[in-house]
Amino acid sequence: MKWINEQTYYEILEINPEATPKEIQKAYDRAKEAFRHDSIAIYTLFSNEEIQEIQEAIEEAYRVLMNEATRKEYDQTHRERIRGTFVKEESRRVEREEEKGTTLSFKEIALHLEEMEYRGKSLKEVRERLGIDLKSISEETKIHIKILQAIEEEDLPNLPPLVYLKGFLKAYAKLLNLDPQKVIEGYLRVFHREGGEKKR
Amino acid sequence: MNSSPMNHQQTLWTIGGGKGGSGKSFLAANIGICLSKLGVQVILVDADLGGANLHTLLGIPPPFPSLSDFIQKKVQNLHDVLIPSGISNLRLLTGTQDLLNSADVKSLQRRKLLRAIRSLGGDCIIVDLGGGNAASILDFFLMSDGGILVVTPEPTSVENTYRFLKSAFYRRLRQSVSSQSVKSLIDQAMNGKNESGIRNPYELFREAKRLNLEDANRMMEETEAFRPNLILNQVQSKRDIEMGFFIRSACQKYFGIHLHYLGYVVYDQEVGSSIRKRRPLILENERCRASQCISEIASKLLQSQTRASPME
Repeated sequence: MKWINEQTYYEILEINPEATPKEIQKAYDRAKEAFRHDSIAIYTLFSNEEIQEIQEAIEEAYRVLMNEATRKEYDQTHRERIRGTFVKEESRRVEREEEKGTTLSFKEIALHLEEMEYRGKSLKEVRERLGIDLKSISEETKIHIKILQAIEEEDLPNLPPLVYLKGFLKAYAKLLNLDPQKVIEGYLRVFHREGGEKKR
Repeated sequence: MNSSPMNHQQTLWTIGGGKGGSGKSFLAANIGICLSKLGVQVILVDADLGGANLHTLLGIPPPFPSLSDFIQKKVQNLHDVLIPSGISNLRLLTGTQDLLNSADVKSLQRRKLLRAIRSLGGDCIIVDLGGGNAASILDFFLMSDGGILVVTPEPTSVENTYRFLKSAFYRRLRQSVSSQSVKSLIDQAMNGKNESGIRNPYELFREAKRLNLEDANRMMEETEAFRPNLILNQVQSKRDIEMGFFIRSACQKYFGIHLHYLGYVVYDQEVGSSIRKRRPLILENERCRASQCISEIASKLLQSQTRASPME
């Protein structure tokens, strides 16, 4: 029994010490959603101060683990504690796999439920958290880097026509492991709100 | 009472927690039917103190014999109080609520009752505990091979489930320790507004360690071994489904326990329609969405039956 301030960053996010940046992102999104002040799942269980403490721990764990350098340093200084976590996480992983392994699978559930608005800057933020540069995105998606820049900067006059924009957003979202539909909807909301079509 | 010859592979599940109306009896009946269709010998036990009505869900009209008849010696053989359900491999036992409800029923008698139920045989026994946090209900939940909590995605249901889980958790810890000082500490923690200022299980562990290391270690072992299951009922969105994972995380962070998310059942109008007809959903409409979810859960129970480690 460890309180949040005694848990390793991996325990806080409930991930394996081998977790990839994508897995860390998913775990962070889920933890953030679970421990929101208005989350029904924690209703009456924690005091406001406890929720605050947990939220801060989740943010700190995410901040350190998403940065390659700080993660490496953390792993080195906490090697023994992390190793202890790993054994436990492995046995839990088996249980979790069993929860997934059915036809009405939990796998189908989109893990990005956070009600954040996906707009240019949030895409950029996620990309940077994952440590991917724009050039790699461009190479992978075959979208010109200037268009990607325009998408991220919300440079409305330089965005492609709507029909192409949707396709580009879809490809970009997929690469970042985000829900394409949500990204398109969120982005277009900003686009329309700020009069994107009129300006062009 | 002697154990059933099938005892070695028999699993006793209890369904409890939360508030009335979350679907415990409905799920007990329909999961039982699913398992019976898979060839499992099932005994459904109605132990709902608030209002036993598994028989109605199964479409069995009263009168019928009950466990009380055996206790009052109106029938000689315990097996005679088992009611055939009209569904092959499925039988029903009622009247346990009378015994559980008595204020003078001691823990030892509860154990005897549990042994009596187990001795009826069957591969799988599903006990519908109903709502509430009575000591007898908590004991049954803790003494079973697997306790299942049924929650709907609403604050009231979640609140009652946590209330139940806290009571069960502290009760389990209290039963495991020997020193009076730690027992009294647990009583205080259960109270919530206590003089020691213990606000959560973590603070309880910290204080217990200070008082009696051996007891604190025992409490840790009990926490590790306590693995309740969760079914989320009447879900209407992916967000509701996700709540099961969130509750699992919350339990991990608060109690330090591993809650197993067994599955979810979608909100389906077919459910209300089948209850009004007094026909179990699984028999009335096997292909509807709620039936499919229930079948999934039944299969998972069957899979875990071989590896279920007793909670006791």
